[in-house]
Amino acid sequence: MHPLERLVHREARLLDARDYPAWIDLFTPDCHYWVPVSPDMTTALDGPSHFNDDRQLMQARTHRLLNPRAFGAEPPPRTAHIVSGVEIVSENPEDAVALSTQIMLEWRRRTGFEDDQRLFGGQVQHRFRRVSDEWRIAVKRIDLLNAESSMNAILAPF
Amino acid sequence: MEPASLATDTHVHRSVYTDPAIFELEMARIFGRAWIYLAHDSEIERAGAYVTRHIGTTGVIVTRDRDGSARAIVNRCTHRGATLCAFDRGEAPHGHQCPYHGWLFAPDGSLKMVPNRQNYDGVLDLAEHGARPVRLEFYRGFLFGTLHDAAAPLAEFLGPMASSIDDLVDRSPTGRLTCIPHVLRHHYRGNWKMTFENLNDTIHPGFAHSASVVSAKAVADDIGGGQSLAPTVGMMLANGKPIRFFQDLDMMVAPPGHSYIGGHMGARYTPDTEDRYTQDLISFHGPEKAAAVLGTDRHLTLLYPSSTWHARYQTVRIVRPVRHDLTEVIGYVFRLEGAPEETFRNAIEYVNGANSAASPVISDDLELYERLLAGNRYEDRGWIPMLRGLREDREQGNGWTRTPSTSEAFIRNQFQAWRHYMAAA
Repeated sequence: MHPLERLVHREARLLDARDYPAWIDLFTPDCHYWVPVSPDMTTALDGPSHFNDDRQLMQARTHRLLNPRAFGAEPPPRTAHIVSGVEIVSENPEDAVALSTQIMLEWRRRTGFEDDQRLFGGQVQHRFRRVSDEWRIAVKRIDLLNAESSMNAILAPF
Repeated sequence: MEPASLATDTHVHRSVYTDPAIFELEMARIFGRAWIYLAHDSEIERAGAYVTRHIGTTGVIVTRDRDGSARAIVNRCTHRGATLCAFDRGEAPHGHQCPYHGWLFAPDGSLKMVPNRQNYDGVLDLAEHGARPVRLEFYRGFLFGTLHDAAAPLAEFLGPMASSIDDLVDRSPTGRLTCIPHVLRHHYRGNWKMTFENLNDTIHPGFAHSASVVSAKAVADDIGGGQSLAPTVGMMLANGKPIRFFQDLDMMVAPPGHSYIGGHMGARYTPDTEDRYTQDLISFHGPEKAAAVLGTDRHLTLLYPSSTWHARYQTVRIVRPVRHDLTEVIGYVFRLEGAPEETFRNAIEYVNGANSAASPVISDDLELYERLLAGNRYEDRGWIPMLRGLREDREQGNGWTRTPSTSEAFIRNQFQAWRHYMAAA
């Protein structure tokens, strides 16, 4: 497996394991984690976003998820990412881009019926940069199939 | 029981959140009578441009007509009742044609064409089959509509709260605003009133959002003093302010059901932006008014029953009731034309924090709305107290009351309006 493809899989696995500090360590210090409200958006200043995180916000958000007082995360949500069709579309000595299609199955304990489990999915773009000889994620953009839809509370990152 | 008797000056019966029959009555009597914010001028700039919105559970189409006026009609064909338009926005220079049998309606609702006209010879009067027009009024570029043709003028409905719309428009150094077409929607399985009763509640953040405060502090400690806090992390921290702070802050309430509280997020621009923006506003407004605009700091203004306004962060939200137990909140962000780009960046940051379902703050609220619905379905106590701050009003003006921001006065005021709307048959 291409090392960048392995990195895409590893990132998903760390999210599913809720090992958030290790997950954030995969990113560059100036990283951007982005879930726009439309596939037509080219920058996060074209309009609002579901997620528009820098590293600090990724830290604050995931730290909170493990707090028992974070309502809606009692207990923290479980996720299973299915990563498919990883394609390295550009690779240079210092930067690279990978596309993939991902599905995230998410379970939150709520009313105990079918709404407890949800399905999210769409196209994912990873932009990598080499930092002290290791590949890091500089940008992760997730274009949800239902990006424009009205969402109920989203706790776990995609 | 008479619906109006479900709310007193101090208590409300839990069935107003859980009873589908009450919800139906609210749609007819509250959303069928109030002025409802629909759209901004900039969303329907060119002739034929339209957006679809709702008045309560009724879909409407708002279109710019060829003569330049704004028109709104109920989004329903007068033949078999299909909705005419399925898109959020678009261009319909020739009007709206029903996809079922091709009936064509002009922006003002008049029925322009019925295919195979010979089938209707002598039996169908086109003039009697127009789509229902919605009465409209603009306030400074913001378009409101009502299904109640006899409603008092919009200015009377807005009352002193019109100043919060002024606050938003006056922040533009050209007088122009642009509504960004990308919008941010969330929903929850709970009643629409829960949002209105939550947004100006300054006691809940210290409890409901405490996990965010803890995590924002952890991040702040982790990065130390050398790096500045991301705005959203600052927003999470702001929920940890002491109660004393909110007790000192003012809330204004005015009929029918409106309120706002003072600004408390410590919003600042960077010095360069502050200087340039101040100069821009002075050039446009003159020094005195520019100082007044920049000196105004309000947090949310709630225009009961359907919109919330944050002028400082250029954000308007529409609260859309779908069912008694399902509500959508739609966030719109505005660009102040001619203002430094930082004003827009701040607004984007704010709307993401204030209206994304993934916002660490909003996701707490959404969970609580759903718990409110669950708990209020239990056969237990029937009545919910709204007593906080009952004896703490600070000043009574002509058509408004000033009270501490910690008071439930805004909820009592909402139910006063609710009773008034619900009582009239």
